[in-house]
Amino acid sequence: MKANINEKEIQAMNKSFRILNERRRKLLGNPQTEELKKRVKKIREYSINHLNDLKEKALKKLEDNGMEVIYASDADEALKAIYAIVKDEKNVAKSKSNTASEIGISDLFKEKGIKLIETDLGDRIVQFTVKKKSSHPIGPAAHLDMGEIAGLLSKEFNRPVKEDPQEILNLVRQDVLEEIERCNIGITGANSLAAEDGSLVMVHNEGNISLVSMLDTHIIIVGIDKLVRTIEEAISVVKLETIYATGKKVPAYMNVISSPSKTADIEQILLNGMYGASRVVVVILDNGRSKALKSYPESLLCIGCGSCIVTCPIYSILGYDFGYNRHLGGRGVVFSRYLKNEQICYKSGLFTCTLCGQCTLDCPLEIRTNHFIQDLRCESINKGLYKDKHRKTAQKIKDKGSPFS
Amino acid sequence: MLYFRGCVVRDKLPHVGDATLKILDKAHIDYHVLEDEGCCGSFLLRTGFKDDALEVMKRNLGDLKDDMIVVSCAGCFNTLKNDYKELLGVELDVIHTSQLFRDLIKDGVLKPDKTSLTVCYHDPCHLGRHCGEYQAPRDVLDKITTLVEMENIKENSNCCGAGGGVKSAYPEIADKLASKRLKDFEGTDADLMVTSCSFCLLNLDNAFEQVNNKKDKDRKVKDLSEILLISLKDGN
Repeated sequence: MKANINEKEIQAMNKSFRILNERRRKLLGNPQTEELKKRVKKIREYSINHLNDLKEKALKKLEDNGMEVIYASDADEALKAIYAIVKDEKNVAKSKSNTASEIGISDLFKEKGIKLIETDLGDRIVQFTVKKKSSHPIGPAAHLDMGEIAGLLSKEFNRPVKEDPQEILNLVRQDVLEEIERCNIGITGANSLAAEDGSLVMVHNEGNISLVSMLDTHIIIVGIDKLVRTIEEAISVVKLETIYATGKKVPAYMNVISSPSKTADIEQILLNGMYGASRVVVVILDNGRSKALKSYPESLLCIGCGSCIVTCPIYSILGYDFGYNRHLGGRGVVFSRYLKNEQICYKSGLFTCTLCGQCTLDCPLEIRTNHFIQDLRCESINKGLYKDKHRKTAQKIKDKGSPFS
Repeated sequence: MLYFRGCVVRDKLPHVGDATLKILDKAHIDYHVLEDEGCCGSFLLRTGFKDDALEVMKRNLGDLKDDMIVVSCAGCFNTLKNDYKELLGVELDVIHTSQLFRDLIKDGVLKPDKTSLTVCYHDPCHLGRHCGEYQAPRDVLDKITTLVEMENIKENSNCCGAGGGVKSAYPEIADKLASKRLKDFEGTDADLMVTSCSFCLLNLDNAFEQVNNKKDKDRKVKDLSEILLISLKDGN
């Protein structure tokens, strides 16, 4: 197995996760959280049972609200659509988006010579590393300790940076603010998409999404798995996501975006782009999600909190090497089967899971990832993708009734 | 009653089988074991060889379906209890040794002494999270030892690292996870770590050997049956 993560990163990550887990424990299991969990489960179940209907509604409603909507069936289509908008730009700002990373937006920008300015502190730090690997969907730099981060910044900014969190924050903040000045276009993801209202809900703690979404053009990339009916439902979803992802009850910011910035203050004449974006483009992405819906609809219940990896035993050993791209851990392995194919799924760690079931227990939606992994292993074997050791042991069992004979 | 030993007990941990048989004798239970006992199907199912698993499971049915079965291994238990039902539609009458021991003590059939041992209990994934049985082994241990708890128990029990075919395909991962679990054990005052899954036992035992360079004599990880047998030594 190719290991990218090193022991130091594993230790830093496990330390971060321990702190996060301690903080979360106080909120998990309390009656309000339990009630919210039940509500969100119903919301998400309705969504995946009516996904096509919600998709159609969203496409129409977002457009009615004055946004441009692009439906991308795969990563290529999404990238083409985004490139068509950004092709004349030198600098584009971005807030951390696992969906944007999923389609490989950084590679496209690099190839086209457009500078992509990541504004989320953790993600910006991750972009300074050689491997550019994220270890948690909400806290991408969980595997980097302060010394490592200071070292990365010293190298990046060509001056000594102290191992001081405030100094690190100030430095990145100033740099990002200067970079944003040169951007006309901002790219963000969305945590939830309210189909009936034609609204997108985004949560953040740093305020970076507010900055990025105020640029002239705002591009929002969102997977169809984020669809719900209404803003109220969307808020419930992101609230639960926040609790499980960060151990805090609410994030610092929840942005609800339903149209470009507009005014009708002069004789009721509608004008766009008063202070915020004059153009909002929503890229709705399938990229294998419909396929996943047919085989394992339950896997689309996911709200992206990353709770499943925080206590996963295998993740505590393999870190981001267990999973695919930004789809981390066992659920990421399952998802990779539909985002990509059986080979990628096999390589993402289909056979490294002990099927212990801890992730299901810690998932707010109780997604039974171990069951799906077990099923996908059957499919994988039928495609000739298996571990030799398992094949040999299976033969022994068949011939002699024991793996040890 | 059929005592289904499971492959690990049969081939790797015969002392667990011996201890269990002695307890069954002491309880005057009319039991038998299968001379040609096969695989329950667990390994095949977990590693994706479902067709092979179904073949093996169907072959077992004749021996299993009309008997009351007791099993030592949590993996066998989960498979016989849940997978036979789900995949073959057969509800087997199966009980785990920890449940049988608890019942025998509760009914006064076995009258164990309280030993001077201080132990902690490792919840196997297959018995705990997958079958919801956390209490039976604790009830037994409470009677016969001083039970102290590690960090990460019951629903949040740390996996020993062996399951799902990981021990055979990625032994280094299984070792690392078992060593982590041993650290949880070392964080307690317990003399011994007790579990109720032969697969967990094997993996934790291997890790203990590697860490401490010790062989059989000083085994610190034991099956519940071994501890119960100690407590039944005099009389009963």
